[in-house]
Amino acid sequence: MSLPIFFKTQNAYTQTIKLFACMIAIVLAGFYLLSAVIIPIVISLTLYAIFEPATLYLVRHNVNHSLSIIIVLVFLVFFSFIAIGFALPQLIEQIGLLQAKLPAIFSKLEGFLTHYSAEFSDQIGVDLDVSDMIVSTVSQSTLLGQSFLLNFSNKLLGVTIVFLLVPFLTYYLLKDFRSLRNHMMNWLPNTSFELGWLIYHRVSKQLQAYTRGVMIQSIIMSLVCMIGFSLIGLDIPILLGVITGILNLVPYIGPVISILLSLLVSSAMTPFDPSLLYLGVLVIVIAQIIDNVIVIPAVIANAVNLHPVQVILGIIIFGNLFGTLGVILAIPAIATAKIIFNNLYADILNENQKQSL
Amino acid sequence: MSHIFWSNIFNRPTSELQSIVELWQDTPLFENIPTRHVQFLSKKMHVRSFMAGERIFQLGSQGAGALMVLEGSVQIRADTTELALLKLGDFFGEIALAEPEKRTADAYSVTNTRLVYFLKQDLEEWIEYEPRLGSRFLMNLSAILARRLSLANKEMVTL
Repeated sequence: MSLPIFFKTQNAYTQTIKLFACMIAIVLAGFYLLSAVIIPIVISLTLYAIFEPATLYLVRHNVNHSLSIIIVLVFLVFFSFIAIGFALPQLIEQIGLLQAKLPAIFSKLEGFLTHYSAEFSDQIGVDLDVSDMIVSTVSQSTLLGQSFLLNFSNKLLGVTIVFLLVPFLTYYLLKDFRSLRNHMMNWLPNTSFELGWLIYHRVSKQLQAYTRGVMIQSIIMSLVCMIGFSLIGLDIPILLGVITGILNLVPYIGPVISILLSLLVSSAMTPFDPSLLYLGVLVIVIAQIIDNVIVIPAVIANAVNLHPVQVILGIIIFGNLFGTLGVILAIPAIATAKIIFNNLYADILNENQKQSL
Repeated sequence: MSHIFWSNIFNRPTSELQSIVELWQDTPLFENIPTRHVQFLSKKMHVRSFMAGERIFQLGSQGAGALMVLEGSVQIRADTTELALLKLGDFFGEIALAEPEKRTADAYSVTNTRLVYFLKQDLEEWIEYEPRLGSRFLMNLSAILARRLSLANKEMVTL
């Protein structure tokens, strides 16, 4: 790959960093321009990654391309309606139950923290008034809830747009993404053409494997936890299972939050049964063991090759910059950035070595 | 007849596609692969134009696939020594279809040249759906690589 003069002044590493920084700036500018529709785009791209193999399978079996996409989308909509029809009433009922239990959960939490903070204060000799902290947190969360309800009507428009835009975008991604991609790759200069395709190939392979992997992982985790919570007799098992499955998308931090949530729900049960606290944690620990021993090696092994520190730092930084979406996209984004950087560096290094001969 | 404004501009002209299919079919790489599959793969290939003297790839760079000369000529060289001069229908860089290895020589266009890129990514996808034909293709590829290795060994012995 031959580089403009701006990139040619230092060693390969510095050149790569400069080029990479320019690419990041372009991507961020793109995100900024598309910020209004970024959620439907991300959802559509995820659906594209999941359903593209099914459409390609039909195309291979001599089904017309557009027709295969419509068949896949009809199946998607049909099963979504069945799933929503089955789960939504129960979820709404369980959200209502959780709402009713929130005061009890907070009072349990307050009692628990007051008890242990008193012991802790005695040990370190500093007076900690946890009750005030809890009251302020609860009042803040109530205010947040009220503001959420006030904004809900405004958000409803956004949600409707997402629901309308996602099938439309997914259809066109499934239909034209490859042609559009080829057309855009042809804009690359001859010197970068092969490198561009290599990077694209490695990134897309990894992202597709990761997306399909985490989807399957989330569904399995949700099911295992739902069954586990039902078996131990915990309240709102379906809602808790779904939340645990979704939280599992966030490595390391997600399972900890799920454990805390199950502890809170079991502590608010009437009559209070202390063994439920241990059983709730046990369900999540068993689910994590199944996840780590069976699901991850079978479904997402080697999908991303990142160090735990990179993952945690990435989640914190992306979460801080882009909120909830950033937390979910942190891992694929870092894995993609790593592939791009390593390939650019290898190519620039080779070019420099060749020139120095 | 479709109007140019409404037609799919991404589609390759039929005559060019036909000549790409015919050229690939004449190579040992696609021996015993049915025409419709060669056609299917050719639709996915990428045609690129190079000016006379332009570098196509260099020794040590990562290869994304094999290339075939569609127009013009290509010189394969190590430093300043010419290793081969390739013309219409000749293919090169096929090692990259087997392994993402680094290119083992430099390639330069001698005249204004048009090349067809056959990417490993497209081959992999095809093999996934057509494993039986895919294994036939891989046998062809390994036969070509074995022949090249044997020729290289003979050359080393005579040196």
